Amino acid sequence: MMYWIMCRSLTHAQRSARLLERAGITAVVVKAEAGLSENGCRYAVKLSRRFEEAESILRRNDMIRGKIYRQDSTGRYEELRR
Amino acid sequence: MIYLDSAATTLLKPQSVYSAVQRAMESMASPGRGAYPPAMQAAELLLDCREEAASLFSVEEPENVVFTMNATHALNIAITSLAKKGSRVVISGFEHNAVTRPLHALGADVVTARGELFDGASVVSGFAEALRGAELAVCTHVSNVFGFILPIAEIASLCKKEGVPLIIDASQSAGLLPIDMCALGAAFIAMPGHKGLHGPQGTGLLLCGESGRPLLYGGSGSDSRRQEMPEELPDRLEAGTHNVPGIAGLLAGLRFVREKDPEAIKNHEQTLLRQMADELEYCEELELFLASGEEQTGVLSLRSRRIDCETLASQLAERGVCVRAGLHCAPKAHRSAGTLESGTVRLSFSPFLSAEQISRAAAILRELLRRPL
Repeated sequence: MMYWIMCRSLTHAQRSARLLERAGITAVVVKAEAGLSENGCRYAVKLSRRFEEAESILRRNDMIRGKIYRQDSTGRYEELRR
Repeated sequence: MIYLDSAATTLLKPQSVYSAVQRAMESMASPGRGAYPPAMQAAELLLDCREEAASLFSVEEPENVVFTMNATHALNIAITSLAKKGSRVVISGFEHNAVTRPLHALGADVVTARGELFDGASVVSGFAEALRGAELAVCTHVSNVFGFILPIAEIASLCKKEGVPLIIDASQSAGLLPIDMCALGAAFIAMPGHKGLHGPQGTGLLLCGESGRPLLYGGSGSDSRRQEMPEELPDRLEAGTHNVPGIAGLLAGLRFVREKDPEAIKNHEQTLLRQMADELEYCEELELFLASGEEQTGVLSLRSRRIDCETLASQLAERGVCVRAGLHCAPKAHRSAGTLESGTVRLSFSPFLSAEQISRAAAILRELLRRPL
């Protein structure tokens, strides 16, 4: 399972990833797939483990500012509504 | 060569700045244009630089640190975000053309707060009188001509009380004086990268208390289907490819300043200024513009009663002493000080200058003043 946390800008994505790194959570900054960015060219933070913890850290720091998607092993995306 | 024009550009930089520029040119691409390593390295550099600046100037979020080409560019963004034709805008009597020309071009109703050179209390009173009914205030932190440190905290406090947004021109103070964006509550603070922050020319910063209005429109690497600029900072105000090598140098400069400590740099420059003033004390034909207390950075204006400022600067240049003469793009400051007709010769110091160099420059100046016309 893979999680995509959509970000408002590249800077926002980098800051989110750095925050998670500091908590020992591996997260990478990636350009979101076209289907996930309705206005084109969006960055996201992608992670495969410790999602609940990561989400909680980002929320505590007011860094969740976009949608979150879960991608299953077939590649299908599902938006997580929280 | 003795370089005494750091108020224009700090020509002498830390070695780390030169190395950082070269490294960036050799290894970094454009941030926000791809997820491949050279683009992501550039993106990491930009965030490092934003974080360093946010920490040095107490900006709440690194996103609110916007890269510009210079302080003029930053001031133009800030001013066009908050002023329009007919806006009543209060400014100090020591502003640079980077402030007054954009206001003039917009057709703003500009009111100059009264205030005497090296008299901070009079400037505060002037702002207190002028602020009522104003839509915007713009104030320099330090006069680029005289090194006069304006009481910016008091002026910011007055602006807060009157509900008037404040733009601060920190061109001559960044890297020398404490600047706390949160405490000042300024709408914007503009600064160059190539003066007290020791970055390369072509760099500048705009610290944003609000989102601002774009001055340039174009690619931001984000929200590309939309024809409007993104809402979010920094993308909103950063159209086009970044000056990555410049920003790499700026980051190295910021780190140098943090390591040296701005207070220590300021003290060194003030010591050099006092030394220069002492060594020129008995030149009766020289008029030195000196504060009686601590309200002057390492910038010294002077003029000769006998030799024109431009002539004197040229003669110094021929002898290897680099200074700037004339109006320094700040006729308003010269008008306030009564030097508009003559201009001044400006000597400005840096952390890379020694007492021995100051003595040599003073000796050359004294020798020139002794010569017959």
